[in-house]
Amino acid sequence: MSDWLVPDSLAPNTDGPLLPLYKAAARGELALPFCAQCDTPLELDQTRCDNCGHDVVSWRTVAPLGVVHAATTVHRREPGLILTTAPYHVVDVELDSGHRLLMTTTHAVATTPIIGAAAVIAFRSVGGVSVPALVADDRELTSDPTNPPHPTPTEVAP
Amino acid sequence: MSRDPAIIGLGLTAMSLTPGGHPTDLASEAITLALADAGLTRADVDGLLVNSSQGVRPDRVGVALARSDGFGDLRLLEHLEIKGATAVAMVQHAVLAIRAGMATTVVCVFADAPIQSGGSSGSTYAHSGGNDGVRGLERASGLLGSVPTYALMANRYLAISGGSADDLCSVACTARQWAAGNPLATSRTPLTADDYFAARMVSTPLRVLDCARPVNGGGAVVVSALRPAAAAHAPVFVGGMAQRHPARRRRAPGESWFGGDASIALDDALTQGGRTRADIDVAEIYDPFSVVTLCLLEDYGLCKPGDAGAFVREGGIAPGGELPLNTGGGQLAGFYLQGMTPLAEGIIQLRGAGGERQVADAATALVTGLGGRADHHAVLVLEREAR
Repeated sequence: MSDWLVPDSLAPNTDGPLLPLYKAAARGELALPFCAQCDTPLELDQTRCDNCGHDVVSWRTVAPLGVVHAATTVHRREPGLILTTAPYHVVDVELDSGHRLLMTTTHAVATTPIIGAAAVIAFRSVGGVSVPALVADDRELTSDPTNPPHPTPTEVAP
Repeated sequence: MSRDPAIIGLGLTAMSLTPGGHPTDLASEAITLALADAGLTRADVDGLLVNSSQGVRPDRVGVALARSDGFGDLRLLEHLEIKGATAVAMVQHAVLAIRAGMATTVVCVFADAPIQSGGSSGSTYAHSGGNDGVRGLERASGLLGSVPTYALMANRYLAISGGSADDLCSVACTARQWAAGNPLATSRTPLTADDYFAARMVSTPLRVLDCARPVNGGGAVVVSALRPAAAAHAPVFVGGMAQRHPARRRRAPGESWFGGDASIALDDALTQGGRTRADIDVAEIYDPFSVVTLCLLEDYGLCKPGDAGAFVREGGIAPGGELPLNTGGGQLAGFYLQGMTPLAEGIIQLRGAGGERQVADAATALVTGLGGRADHHAVLVLEREAR
């Protein structure tokens, strides 16, 4: 089944350093890299831990839960590369594991994701490759008064 | 007689918004102009540093330029690559190489032609990046080109700072004020808030007027220990230079999109020349998107965190303001020639050659480059007088 956002030609190559992510995603699981020694969450292409210097990366399944760290609604739709006819969303999700991942939504939605809102991750398929995506529906993306949409300045790293 | 290296030549081609021109030809033209400005010829050059746009065109400028553009035997030849920070870094390398005795006269050049037949520059950038690695995953997620990335930065910044689109609007309108006085600028007509908010949205909150104007063009500077009698202008001196590449990991709890240690690079560069931020007469910073100006004003310690929006709205960076910034219109309203844009304008201001946009008595200029997603910072403090 074709993806709603991009054509099969944008399917990511899976045979690189992100192979564990794609293998897990094919099973419907979210796997992310950690330092095998100190358990620091690593970036997707990181091969050595910046905290302890260890060079063994351990990929493991994490809970597909987090918050929206940043979000944008993309209005520019490049012909041939973007299939949808409506603006679409790109979000930077901060997972409970500490990782941050950029993704779009599982399907086309009108509601703009809100910074600070709870996020649940599922998958969409691009050319047969499963990639993480934000589960987006109007109910889940409505700002929760107990979970402020905008972080307070004290939450900002110096 | 050898002296401390200084910038003695500057060459800028026309900045075209229409298809045409090859990066190599544009680089050659810029070099010819820069050498003529310096009162030199290619035979006087013993160093060439090259900067090209990463990954946008396969036929980008490289070290082969030394052969194709008629240089003789060189003592220094490098293709530098730290993304948007490269142009500033080239001058740093040239100064160090001359001081080390590796070369006497070094040409630093950047050229690009992202506007091609059959598509806009935005289309060119959208089609670049490939399917491998992290970028492949991002592109499969709809992150094409660089605008969505900086839009994430913008929304995050506005959420943290309490700012609004009015702040972005002020940056864009101010850039037009400066560009009005720059004959090479691509957008010289005044911009009102109404114009701004009527402009096409690219990726919220960034409208097309928040984005740099890519051009087909080239720029070159000549750094030399020589002081040719035929030089068209007085030399511009390098009073300080530094880089900073903060390992700002994209994971909790840090910020993914802004912040970091850019101010340390500025501290280092100012300290070398015994300067402080109060000594900066003009600031020429890398501004591919309006939000970057706001973030960098704060990251460089030129504004307190959260204050940049108000500073810009109150005219702080405008003509007559406390800190004249991007005085040729920057990359937003001037032209997007990556790091060559702020570098060229810093030189022009210290030469007193800014015409209508000249800042009176400009003697010390801050010039900065920014690479990647604010991952790389390179800083120059330029001086009108040797110190």
